[in-house]
Amino acid sequence: MNLTRQEIIEAVNGALVNEMELDPADLAPEKTFFDDLGLDSLDMVDLMIGLQRKFGVSLRENEEIKKVRTLGDVYDFFEKYQAELTRQAEEAKKQAGQPANGQ
Amino acid sequence: MNGLKRVVITGCGVYSALGDTPAALFDNLAQGKSAVVRAGEDEHFLPTAPAPRDPERFRVLPRTLRRAMAPSACFTAMAGLAALNDSGLTRDDLVALNAGCAVGSTMGSVSALRDGYSLVFSGQSDRLSPMHFFKSASHTTAFNLARTLGLQGAIYSPCSACASGLQAMGLGAALIASGQTEVMFCGGADETGSEVSGSFALMYAHAPAEGDPQESPQPFSAHRKGLVCGEGAGIFCLEEYEHARRRGAHIYGEIVGYASNSGGTGLSQSDAPAIARCMTATCAMAGIAPSDIDYISAHATSTLQGDAAEAAAIRDVFGDSVPVSSLKGHLGHTLGASGPLEMAAVFEMARHNLLIPTRNLRDVADDCAGIDHVTAPREKKIRVFFKNSFAFGGINASLICKINV
Repeated sequence: MNLTRQEIIEAVNGALVNEMELDPADLAPEKTFFDDLGLDSLDMVDLMIGLQRKFGVSLRENEEIKKVRTLGDVYDFFEKYQAELTRQAEEAKKQAGQPANGQ
Repeated sequence: MNGLKRVVITGCGVYSALGDTPAALFDNLAQGKSAVVRAGEDEHFLPTAPAPRDPERFRVLPRTLRRAMAPSACFTAMAGLAALNDSGLTRDDLVALNAGCAVGSTMGSVSALRDGYSLVFSGQSDRLSPMHFFKSASHTTAFNLARTLGLQGAIYSPCSACASGLQAMGLGAALIASGQTEVMFCGGADETGSEVSGSFALMYAHAPAEGDPQESPQPFSAHRKGLVCGEGAGIFCLEEYEHARRRGAHIYGEIVGYASNSGGTGLSQSDAPAIARCMTATCAMAGIAPSDIDYISAHATSTLQGDAAEAAAIRDVFGDSVPVSSLKGHLGHTLGASGPLEMAAVFEMARHNLLIPTRNLRDVADDCAGIDHVTAPREKKIRVFFKNSFAFGGINASLICKINV
């Protein structure tokens, strides 16, 4: 992954414009999905399916993504998620390079 | 419908390969146009009669509605909006009247089913949208029409293959006749695809890939080789007569008779005696003698057995005194849409006092002879017409409509 925040914003907004047919001018970080952008829970499922593919991650069982309320929350989520994945990958690399205990 | 409330038609909407207004549809039919083209490799180059599916056409429907619609529901919604507009009723009226709908199709949406299963069988279930269910559910045409028009009354969706649309008309008429409601939007819609045409081809009931596609289908012809699948929608506003009269609505006609039955054993084969019983029962309900019918809009799809059975039944009930034609030669077999969609064309025929002939019928088959085939445009005043629809599973449905109530 390793996208910048700006690239994350463009990817998320792109999905909202193309799939949810929203006006790009309405896509401010403080906008809530339900009240401000007029989406519903089924739209959110579809949006996440699209973003899963875009970001190459599985979100279905992710508890954090279920808590997002605003567009900014989604940008933050992917930024943190990306950082976490990077940290895990580096950790795994580090462990793979070290001899296992007792050997 | 003796002893019951009278049911009239006060709105009409169509979506078809030959026009998205009844007037355009009639013009193309009167010009003898065919909607049939050759399909691509995915449909084995079989002849097919597709309706326009350009997504831009459907953008008049809000995304929140469109997201749950496959083509069959889009066709329904477009025809339904036209029927509402034509009826002169407002959305507020529909709420106040507790209006409902009855719309049927063969199998919801074959394209949405295919899309969903393709993801599942290719190991991509994580890409399945919740909308796949709403697009492919067997009642997708009905609830999507209800959402489009804001209907708050009963929603029904007869699922009886190619009789679905006419059964929906009969059901809606029965609900109004029995006083349960005053307005119902009724009709049928369907979409074709390789699964549909392939099913008929497997049974040797589909027209061949070879030759000029517009030479198929050939209902009642000695040279008929099978049907051609089409698609579209026909939706009517059915209304209680006194209500329609009080508000000064334009009345297309009155549904005076409807019946549906079965031979009791049929799977794919039509049953001439059962069809005859169905047509006789429809006449009896209407209190109309067969000789008083001015025109029969036949189901006749161009299958070897089905056309012969319908012709035999018409011969038995009506003899050779009533003009008969099938619109399948122009439109293909629009499946669950065929009954209402073809009825819409008949109202235009009545308006123009002109019977549209059966396209591609030059040599009447011996087993379809003995009835009055319309093989060329014919001037005729239609006061009462008869509509047939039949379906796999041995289902027959017939309806009689009286014009100029």
